[in-house]
Amino acid sequence: MVCRRSMRGVVLLWVTLGLSVWGVGHASAETTLEKIGRTGVFTVGTRTASPPFGFINKQNEWVGFSIDLVKLVHATIEKKLGKSIKFELKESTPATRIPLLSSGAVDLIAGTMTDTRSRRDSVDFSLTFFATGAQLLVKKGSPIRGVKDIAGKRIGAQQGSTNERIIREKYPQAQLVVFPDQPAAFTALAQGKLDAYTNDGIQLAGLKAKAPNPGGWEIVGEFYSYEPYGMAMRKNDSDFRAIVNNTLMEAIEGGEYFTLYDKWFGLKGEVPYPMSEPVLAFLLMQVVPK
Amino acid sequence: MLFFGLAYELRWSVLWTEGHGGWILEGILTTLKLSALGWIIACLLGMLFGAMRTAPVRIVRWAGAAYVECFRNVPLLVWLFFWYFGAPQVLPQSAQEWLNRHGAEFWSAVAGLSVYHGARMAEVIRAGIQSIPRTQFEAAVSTGLSVVEAYRYVILPIALRLIIPPATNESLNLLKNSSLALTIGVAELTFMTRQIETYTARAFEALTAGTLIYLVLCLGIASVMGQVERSFRIPGLIARVGGAEH
Amino acid sequence: MTFDWAVIVGNWKFLILQGLMGIGAFGGGTLRLAIPAIVLGFCLGVLIGLARLAQRSWIRYPAVLYVEFFRGVPLVMVIFWFWFLIPQITGQRLPEYTVALSAFVVFEAAYLAEIVRAGIQSVPRGQIDAAVSSGLSYLQMMRHVILPQAIRNMIPSLVTQFIVLFKDTSLASIIGMMDLTKAAQIISQREIRPFELYLFIAVVYWICTYSMSHISRRLELRLAVPHGTDL
Repeated sequence: MVCRRSMRGVVLLWVTLGLSVWGVGHASAETTLEKIGRTGVFTVGTRTASPPFGFINKQNEWVGFSIDLVKLVHATIEKKLGKSIKFELKESTPATRIPLLSSGAVDLIAGTMTDTRSRRDSVDFSLTFFATGAQLLVKKGSPIRGVKDIAGKRIGAQQGSTNERIIREKYPQAQLVVFPDQPAAFTALAQGKLDAYTNDGIQLAGLKAKAPNPGGWEIVGEFYSYEPYGMAMRKNDSDFRAIVNNTLMEAIEGGEYFTLYDKWFGLKGEVPYPMSEPVLAFLLMQVVPK
Repeated sequence: MLFFGLAYELRWSVLWTEGHGGWILEGILTTLKLSALGWIIACLLGMLFGAMRTAPVRIVRWAGAAYVECFRNVPLLVWLFFWYFGAPQVLPQSAQEWLNRHGAEFWSAVAGLSVYHGARMAEVIRAGIQSIPRTQFEAAVSTGLSVVEAYRYVILPIALRLIIPPATNESLNLLKNSSLALTIGVAELTFMTRQIETYTARAFEALTAGTLIYLVLCLGIASVMGQVERSFRIPGLIARVGGAEH
Repeated sequence: MTFDWAVIVGNWKFLILQGLMGIGAFGGGTLRLAIPAIVLGFCLGVLIGLARLAQRSWIRYPAVLYVEFFRGVPLVMVIFWFWFLIPQITGQRLPEYTVALSAFVVFEAAYLAEIVRAGIQSVPRGQIDAAVSSGLSYLQMMRHVILPQAIRNMIPSLVTQFIVLFKDTSLASIIGMMDLTKAAQIISQREIRPFELYLFIAVVYWICTYSMSHISRRLELRLAVPHGTDL
């Protein structure tokens, strides 16, 4: 009897909750730019453990290539609004970034998010600021040389990442172990709990470069996917999207982009990763005339 | 439905199309398997250490208390990380490899859940044993029962009935806490609801499904145990042992 | 297997100041989350606990629902709900800290309400009759007769629940709030020293919770009814 009463109660609570959510509905006619102007804060979702795009370094500071790029966007927003705006970072993981964005908790995702057609159903993307592809990170000397060798092996991936989805759909023979975030997955690999960890090649290079013994790791295999990184924002907000895109174009045109690229990926950078000719050409061709 | 001013159309079909229904079922099964195994071990540990805490020998009592205090006072999440990442490091290489081949995530989660909840179960059982007045035991022995018979026919039947409500609570806590296993890569129910959310960007539908399933599981178990409690109730005794903590 | 405790020494500031206390660029902090969560959760818990004992069913009924609902759902789910819903309902972006704090207060209040209810119900009925027949008003009776006894009876369960809440704050790390657990996780990925780091934070948590239960035992002795009643 008690139980039936409480069950009915729960249903009632559910309905009430649903109604109140429905009723309180916030007018979201406000554009992102208006929202930033009203609150005085520009909130960006990025990573805490994806060197060199967004990570916490040895000095325990939050830094990275994506963070540097988005600071340029911040400057443009300040100029556009004509007042100083607080810049705030928030952690976003593959599993959390779309809800963070659509709920309004962040205004822009600038981390390691791949632009895909299915994601464009939920969010809008800026132009591509980095192009990479998925590979595998293994201990040096591992028999795994690429995705063709992963049948029956324990492969780690991050929940909600594009490569997790590819492995699940195209390589069902692999034993996929999925973690909510990169720290858990990489620690598991380092301890031999996984045979390989899959992520975008550049992120694996970042992990390798920042690992306690970079020489003990190998990035193997051809790119088995194409992963163009874009900054993600709420859908149908073309003014804000233009601000982000124009900032990126100006940075590519004016050279700030390449200064930052050098800082993080140059030969003396944090994760040496020289830019290939096709990628350079692709970046330059994304810049449309003034 | 107009949702927060955004046109958020509820699409409940994401819960069963594209194989997502299979994920939910798999998630429920993993949650139940994880909780059941964890529960059995937690009960055994709880009985052992709970009884030890009431033993007449000081060192035994002390060992029981050490176990309880050590495991109960640290967050389960930290224990899970410890059992998964930390503890295997002290094992020999071959044992580590064996474990890695045989679902280290799942077994670390079982270990974490059962040891943590074992400590809490021990407290429930200790409280149950201690709530029986010493005179009950003396009376039983004076009627000519042996010590074992006194435990078998007098103490345990009372103690077990007294601990049904708090032990049920504790078991439900274990079931709910099994959701933390997602942090070490166990694909249980909460993990699967998150998985659907990341694949479809449908947070509302996925979270609702997960929440309702947990509610049905918890309320179902609670009502069954409520029936059990009522049918074994000792007339005249209404006292319950332990609190409502989770 | 060798241990390297230097990882603790080298990062103690990040772990203790940032992770435990919440002093630093990342906000958050285990203690900074736990203390307000305990205080606010208790206040809400008392209200709901009293509502559950109310005579009027329109007050009692929602309180029963509240308690039954939150006790049937894992905390992780509640945190995800808050994390997803709050920004949509309020239209404000809130730091993880605020999301976590509200989730904890709302969730734990359900458990605390049960303790408050049980504490009040543990006062024998005769006490109420005696108080009423000696001419006390409802408020006077609550203030001078029922609550002092009820609170004494509640202390052990309350403190146990506060400790549970304190430990639960570690779940805030799942939504990215920088607490002790998250701090250890981040350093652990960089240095691959999980054994040392997780053991260290286990000890820190243990010291906090153990001192909480120690203080509560002292408090119980202090507040014990002087001439032993059977309460």
